[in-house]
Amino acid sequence: MDDLIAILNEIRPGQDFSKADDFFAQGVLDSLDLTALVAALESRYGVFMGVDEIVGDNFRNLAAIKAILARHGVTV
Amino acid sequence: MTAMSDHTSKTAERRMLLVGDTTLDPVARLLERSSDAPKLQCSVAPYGQIYQVLLDSGNPAWAFKPDYLMVWTAPHLTLPSVGKLMHFDFEATHDAALREAEQFTDAVLQAARRASLVLVPTWILPSHERWVQTLAWRHGVGLTNLLARINLLVAEKFAGQSNIVLLDAGYWQTSLGRPAQDPRMYAVAKILYSQAFFEKAATEIKAVLRGSMGQGKKVIVCDLDNTLWGGVAADDGPHAIKLGAPDAVGECFQTFQTALKGLRSRGILLAICSKNDEKFALSVIEEHPAMVLRKSDFVAWRINWRDKAENLLGLAEELNLGLDSFVFLDDSPEEREQVRQILPQVYTPNLPTSPSDLAPFVSSLTCFETPSIGREDLERTSMYQAERDRKETLELSSNIDDWLRSLRIEVRAAPLCRESLSRAAQLLNKTNQFNLSLRRMDENSFWDWAAQPGNAAYVFHVSDRFGDFGLTGLASLSLLGAEARIVDFVMSCRVMGKKVEEALLDYTVAQAQAGGANRITAPPVEGPRNAPARDFFASKFASGDLATIDPTRVAAPSLINLKEEG
Repeated sequence: MDDLIAILNEIRPGQDFSKADDFFAQGVLDSLDLTALVAALESRYGVFMGVDEIVGDNFRNLAAIKAILARHGVTV
Repeated sequence: MTAMSDHTSKTAERRMLLVGDTTLDPVARLLERSSDAPKLQCSVAPYGQIYQVLLDSGNPAWAFKPDYLMVWTAPHLTLPSVGKLMHFDFEATHDAALREAEQFTDAVLQAARRASLVLVPTWILPSHERWVQTLAWRHGVGLTNLLARINLLVAEKFAGQSNIVLLDAGYWQTSLGRPAQDPRMYAVAKILYSQAFFEKAATEIKAVLRGSMGQGKKVIVCDLDNTLWGGVAADDGPHAIKLGAPDAVGECFQTFQTALKGLRSRGILLAICSKNDEKFALSVIEEHPAMVLRKSDFVAWRINWRDKAENLLGLAEELNLGLDSFVFLDDSPEEREQVRQILPQVYTPNLPTSPSDLAPFVSSLTCFETPSIGREDLERTSMYQAERDRKETLELSSNIDDWLRSLRIEVRAAPLCRESLSRAAQLLNKTNQFNLSLRRMDENSFWDWAAQPGNAAYVFHVSDRFGDFGLTGLASLSLLGAEARIVDFVMSCRVMGKKVEEALLDYTVAQAQAGGANRITAPPVEGPRNAPARDFFASKFASGDLATIDPTRVAAPSLINLKEEG
């Protein structure tokens, strides 16, 4: 989980990702940060997200990110 | 135009407006978050409004008052004929595309008046786009052929405009080694380029900006054994070092030396820092048949058994350059780590372990970026060598004035002109020590300032019997009624300690008086390193005054020949 938070903090330094329920609704991330987030996750975990998977719901909070990574066979 | 910044220009934030035909927010954020200088605050104009923003100075995007403008377009989106040709709609012709390209450049040229620097990435095609390879380069028909023609047209149109920089996006794409586009993100959010491409772009953009601000590195200090050649010369014997044919490893080191020699030819100084016997090491450099670099390519060296950080300090003092302009290349991880700890301002990159990667590594360094290469750059190394010769004669002279007189120094003063503008701006932006007001301005802004009524700028060329120092002085005046203010007074450190500043001030004061001034001020600006300038002027002020010059204290020394030109 620490890895994930580190990745997110590189995209948005100084934000608190550990507590937020909904990054987008709470303004901690926005949809334009998705390119950076997807690229970082793909690079760090060696996965490839399909175009249909790049939606806000899959990256809404730490649990959602954990879930989509799990679907790609990666446990964080 | 908002081009001026104060003496903390290295850390001051600059503003960049980005305009594009795809979503550019990811690169704007990378530019803002990157710790590379300069610090940037970015604003992205609303998507897909290229011409609205470029052609209309009243467009809300300009309320951001940017220093820099970046216009990043995709050819197949902004030039309809290119888009059509990409999809084999042959109604579109090369000529139509060239006309659309011209329309684009006209719009950029208009907008260029509203920013101090405009960055335009060249047009590239998606990495996956093979079109029809047999026809891609066919003159007048092919897509790749057309791409080259429209890029060349843009380059030609921007040639006269020094504040527009065409960025080599083709290089970004080629050196990336993976796709520059991400079709998923384009479908999701009209983000055309991959994150990796944006990261590459952001690094290169910052490098170009640093170059434009005169912050390129100036010196490379190299180790010798296993850095400039394979093996240890003292242990293996000079004839057994790996350098040159027929050994492949030797070839690699030779190619590496060739790359370094190229940098030296364009104005980067080379120095040596090696743990060796000095006489022995220099004999290898002078006598080994495969050496590409010879003693005359190096401006200074510390070849001894002392600590490298200490030696780097010595080199910085000898060359009169800040350590933050130094790059240190050494194959030893221990030496590198020690220097990084003790002298963090020196750029100490890790070197590739394979000798074949050394030349590519040097070629890919972004720290030597420069907006221009002129006579001063090409002659820099020989100028430093002339300085060594001067210092040798100093040792033989009995006193300073005798030595200075023996140099037969000549100063030629002339008003600023188009030919001298580039070097004058370089001097203004790069000089930290002998700089009165530390104003930093790009070429165009400085020229415009000097052209205003009441303002004047003068440049000074200095030479002596050993050689030409080039354009090493700059002074500017602002005349209002009977009062003149010396705004800029800049002198290159390479002519410090020769009383040249006395001649420069004498000339400047004379110009002010000729313009009708009976009071001349020179308000100093306090910066971290410009004590030399402030101290000099303090000695010229009337007693008790902190900015008004006492003309009786100003006189060109008789040992300097001061001439007026132009």
